[in-house]
Amino acid sequence: MTKQKLVIALAGNANVGKSVIFNHLTGLHQHIGNWPGKTVERAEGTLHFKDYTIDIVDLPGIYSLSTYSLEEVISRKYIAIEKPDMVINVVDASVLERNLFFTLQLIELDTPMIIAVNQMDVAKKKGIEVEPERLEKLLGIPVVPTVATKGVGIFQLLEKAVEAIERGPSTTHAEVKYGGEVEGKISEVTGMLGAVHFLYPPRYAAIKLLEGDAEIEREVSKIDSKLVSVAKKFADEIENLHGHSCSTVITSERYELAGCIAREAQRLVPPTTPPLEERLHTLTTHKIAGYPIMAFSLLFIFYSIFTFGGYASELLNNFFYGLQPVFADLLGSSLIGELVWGGVVEGIIAGVTIALPYIAPFYIILYVLEDSGYLSRIAFLMDNVMHKIGLHGKAFIPMMLGYGCNVPACLGCRIMETERERLLAAFVTTLVPCAARTVIILGLVGQFLGIQWALLLYILNLVVIFALGRIAFRTLPGEPTALIMEMPSYKTPQLKTVLKETGFRVAEFVKIAFPLIIIGSLSIKLAEIAGLLEQVATVLSPITVVWLGLPLITGITLIFGVLRKELTLIMLATLLGTTNFAQVLSPVQMIVFTIVVMFYVPCVSTIAALTKEFGWKKASFITTFEVCFAVALGGIVLRILTAVM
Amino acid sequence: MHRRSLNGLEVPLTALRDGETGVVASIKAGHGRGWGRGWGFEKRLMELGLTPGTTVTVVKSAPFHGPLEILVRGSRLALGRGMAERILVEIEKQ
Repeated sequence: MTKQKLVIALAGNANVGKSVIFNHLTGLHQHIGNWPGKTVERAEGTLHFKDYTIDIVDLPGIYSLSTYSLEEVISRKYIAIEKPDMVINVVDASVLERNLFFTLQLIELDTPMIIAVNQMDVAKKKGIEVEPERLEKLLGIPVVPTVATKGVGIFQLLEKAVEAIERGPSTTHAEVKYGGEVEGKISEVTGMLGAVHFLYPPRYAAIKLLEGDAEIEREVSKIDSKLVSVAKKFADEIENLHGHSCSTVITSERYELAGCIAREAQRLVPPTTPPLEERLHTLTTHKIAGYPIMAFSLLFIFYSIFTFGGYASELLNNFFYGLQPVFADLLGSSLIGELVWGGVVEGIIAGVTIALPYIAPFYIILYVLEDSGYLSRIAFLMDNVMHKIGLHGKAFIPMMLGYGCNVPACLGCRIMETERERLLAAFVTTLVPCAARTVIILGLVGQFLGIQWALLLYILNLVVIFALGRIAFRTLPGEPTALIMEMPSYKTPQLKTVLKETGFRVAEFVKIAFPLIIIGSLSIKLAEIAGLLEQVATVLSPITVVWLGLPLITGITLIFGVLRKELTLIMLATLLGTTNFAQVLSPVQMIVFTIVVMFYVPCVSTIAALTKEFGWKKASFITTFEVCFAVALGGIVLRILTAVM
Repeated sequence: MHRRSLNGLEVPLTALRDGETGVVASIKAGHGRGWGRGWGFEKRLMELGLTPGTTVTVVKSAPFHGPLEILVRGSRLALGRGMAERILVEIEKQ
């Protein structure tokens, strides 16, 4: 017997506990991917209930169904066109009015839906008691109260959702009515639209046309371009009448209605607990105290990630290299053995020992920061500083993490809201000297020329980040965005959710990064065995020797540096036969070499992370740009230094 | 104090002191590059509840001309200063 298939989507604002509900519903049967052709994440899971196999789709957290962001467009299209059997609208009981504003839009879209009023406990603490029965009556939609963090109401939610599907389409839900003039225009446009067959419900399309929704306009004009101009004319009439744009009028009236419903469905009671979260909020965003608290927290995070990472990395490294003799026995010292070990296994080792020990704890901490609400406070404090390089506050986190390892930093850029910002933040992040580059800066320049020169290089790095960040900010297409961010109440993060998300992310990364890492190390090993490396070094000599004034051999080390940056120094020592670099490199050569290494190419793991997030085109563009930039800068510095010294 | 005389006048949200409350009058749209219409920040702000006639309280602003923390319709938002400057509010009568 085959079970009947159902699709249920979760929709709602950000920070309402949607992902917690999603995790409760689907357990381990999840799949996180991207929406086709988009960088927006799509989380899906399956569960079995009664005689049904139910697909749960977690839509992105959004505040509206307009076209402000890709997330909104995707959600709207999904609901209107793919028509899930049921939408569970998760609303935050503690911010009911704003959440209902979104609910009303779902109603306008004729969505088959039920409502989960979540965070009932948080609301109560704040002194807001929502009465689900009243809300149900007011909206004409089934309402289930939930406390997702404790698993309360999840089963009832599922039950009601299936019940509602079995009952079939309902007509009982409330209508979203606007003021007289607006309503008149809506009916007129709806009437005109009624004649044409359209993806969206006619009334919804009419409202959106009056609001000037670009995407709906485009769709409608394909069918009847006159309609769009009629709607524009109507919108102008309303604007003249009200003194505000038509879109403002409609949004205001919709909010008015949401406010009315919210006020009727909730009772204000005295807050039950001393507002600890409130005090915590005040302290962590304090003009003065906020900064040391932030610095301390971030240093602690940084320190713990890299202490743990370093420790785990070494442990794994020893373990893997401990296996080398076993491998040697197995495959002998034949060519194939060397290829398998040097190419494939060492590639895997590089991936496992560099990336994983840092990525896993990083994700855990990122999710804890995000779920607890502290991330938004950091963004609040750092917004102004980050604006200087064309980013806003949130980008501070990935940038700071970049000093440890660029890989998690690039992955962390997904906390930015728009794709443009994600890309900008990732680009800036790849310029940040990671721990491996720090080894070179300190080990070469710091050791042999003195710490002040190393410091100077760090300052140069900051200047470059600042300058390139600004240039990228100016040249990248798309509108710059400013900070508009909700600062949700502080919450205790859900360890289970955090760990689960971390697990999925890490698996995702392994899938994308490892093939790339293995291919990279295999091809370098092949070149080495075939004796091509010397030739490559010769081919590169116009750049390395003539333009950068470095020894021929550095061409080889720079190639190995693509695998992992610290290899440049290790290879240099091996190839030059000494660790006393002062004997073989002049001070100027050391500085030039270090500058090139600092900027020249993100390591293969970082390239993999970039590819995962932005696709190979953008990843290779960033890589190519950085190689050219590093070489150009190195040559210029060489000429300046030789002229000065 | 002379700030009282602002009653009925429209001032940018950034002119409010910490803890002061105003009523949203309008949001100025930007021109050209910058916080332009194309980005839709105006619409975004309204969708987060900052429609004309809504009361908004400035809780505090981050130092060095940082963003503003505001309370609107029961939710707490952080707004970049450039954007807050474009939100015109009337200060409520005391």
